Amino acid sequence: MPAVLLSARRIGRRFGRRVVLEPIDLDLVEGEVVALGGPNGAGKSTLLAILAGALAPSAGTVAGADPARVGWMPQQPALYRRLTPRENLDLFARLARLGEPAAAVERALEAVGLEEEERRTGELSVGNVQRLNLAIGLLGEPDVLLLDEPTASLDVAHRQSLWRLVGRLRERGGAVLFATHNLEEARRSADRLLVLQEGAVLYEGRPDGFREDVT
Amino acid sequence: MRRVALLLGKDIRALGRMPALLIALVAYPLVIALVVGLVVRYAGERPRVALVDEQGALSGLLVVGDRRFDVGQRLEQAAEVDLVRMPRAQAERELETGRVTAVLEVPPDFITTLRGLRESPTLVLRTTRGGLGTRVVEKMRSLVYSTNLELQQAYIDANLAAVTLLLRGGSGTIGRTRFSLLGIERARTRLDALERSADPEVASRARELDAFMSQLQGAVGQVGSFLRATANPIELRQEERGGRTWLLSAQVQGYALALAIAFVTVLLGAGALVAEREENVLGRLARGLSGLGQLVVEKVAYVALVGTVMGLVLALAFGVIVELGDVSGGEPWLRVPLLFLGLALAAFAFGAFGVMIGALAREAATASVVALLVALPLMLLALVPAGSIEAAAWIASLFPFGHAQSLLSAALYEEQPASTILREGAWLVGLCLAYGSAARVAARRMLS
Repeated sequence: MPAVLLSARRIGRRFGRRVVLEPIDLDLVEGEVVALGGPNGAGKSTLLAILAGALAPSAGTVAGADPARVGWMPQQPALYRRLTPRENLDLFARLARLGEPAAAVERALEAVGLEEEERRTGELSVGNVQRLNLAIGLLGEPDVLLLDEPTASLDVAHRQSLWRLVGRLRERGGAVLFATHNLEEARRSADRLLVLQEGAVLYEGRPDGFREDVT
Repeated sequence: MRRVALLLGKDIRALGRMPALLIALVAYPLVIALVVGLVVRYAGERPRVALVDEQGALSGLLVVGDRRFDVGQRLEQAAEVDLVRMPRAQAERELETGRVTAVLEVPPDFITTLRGLRESPTLVLRTTRGGLGTRVVEKMRSLVYSTNLELQQAYIDANLAAVTLLLRGGSGTIGRTRFSLLGIERARTRLDALERSADPEVASRARELDAFMSQLQGAVGQVGSFLRATANPIELRQEERGGRTWLLSAQVQGYALALAIAFVTVLLGAGALVAEREENVLGRLARGLSGLGQLVVEKVAYVALVGTVMGLVLALAFGVIVELGDVSGGEPWLRVPLLFLGLALAAFAFGAFGVMIGALAREAATASVVALLVALPLMLLALVPAGSIEAAAWIASLFPFGHAQSLLSAALYEEQPASTILREGAWLVGLCLAYGSAARVAARRMLS
């Protein structure tokens, strides 16, 4: 029986009177890759932010959301554009109080192929900014990765590199939950698919068991 | 605290990479210092006044007693104004164009009338309307007053010499007439001799005359002090202090420092927290990397650091102007530690106010506009004279500007600044805590 790495119980979120996420149960177990689908505004980013601990739920609880064990890559890059990639990673590593921050920074840079980049982040291409956004999520080598549309701005080579990275984490016994609009990507890379619509779960099961025309 | 220090280091590094903002922050205090320096220099400068004396009426000498007055020279060398002789037409043109602030016209019979002592000669001063005109009138009044005072003293001295001649006798001049007098004292000596006469009739009349002469001597003896007292019922004695006079320009410095810090820190504070939101990092920081409270403290500290450094640059620039320009300006070097304390307290309070506005506005452009729109009237409210509108004073007291201005002015020139610094410092600390707490509460909305 694989161990549960992250567990959410009845988590929901409302902004004022508007309900953006109905109460949801979700477990991420070791060695599992889960795709999160659904149209724009379905609540995917909200669910990921709550699981990451970046947004407090209006209801429910999340177990195992220790920032040191859970890496998060938000859809919009969350970083400082006047700092270089190395300075960004160094700052977040020190804020997270990682042991040996310099080594953690180098590992994260190497993982996304930005170790030679010395320009300020604001001068980088959209794809490279997204790679740095991912690298910050990889700091501290987390067991769980929460990725919000991770391939949206990446070219083919870097998409492949990303999936190799996800594969290595799965082999190591980690878990990945990623949001996507690309059902083919979900079928190819995920063990399980969770589809949201208007904040509620529309489908949960094997990716190849979901018919796209349902949404 | 370590996380606050890390974020502070990040903000300072980022500031160093914003050349336009950095240039503005360095140039701003220097521009303010320059403007204030010009104001201070102008305050100590003599207004330029055209002197129109086409008949040469001021060229004659006025003799009063044994003293000779060159009234023309006295006016031209006056410390109050810079009198420049010129023809009437040129004076009119320069008054029109503002090259002179007034025209002083001397009538042709000026010295003759003054010598005659039957009526006062009149100088005519023509000015333009407005603030400069008022100032030059004050300066000219001061010049005429001091010249009158000198002449008055000479006339009194001449009258006293006449009184002395009357008392002691001898030769001298009264007005333009030369006299040779016996004098009251010698007259009484001769009457003494007559009082001892064998003729009782003569002795009796001599005693009568001597009694009268004694009363006359007493009365004439007091004429001197009466003359001085009636000439100047109230006298103002000016005593020179060692060093420069300084009150006005030190106040100007206090206002300039408070104004410069207020603008920079409120605007910078309003943008500081919003910048984190616009970089989209608030969610990442909320994952246990930095609490909102720590973030607010860091932003206030960052803004206060920038504001304090900028204020010190401004204060040092003022000090240099005071020293090099030899203009008035408090005690800039002795009071640097007090100024530093005042600048830091003011910058913290203004910074907290700005961060609160940023947290409420949540968006950079809105935050900047709101900061400007709110801060400017609150600063102006602090300039409303105390006691004129009570509500204005109450509202202004809830904003740091008035307290900062008062503290900085006290730090610059008050003889015993401790009580003002303690009172206003306590206000600034209280306002910083209140605005900081409000910013912390408002910042919660930035996460949604």
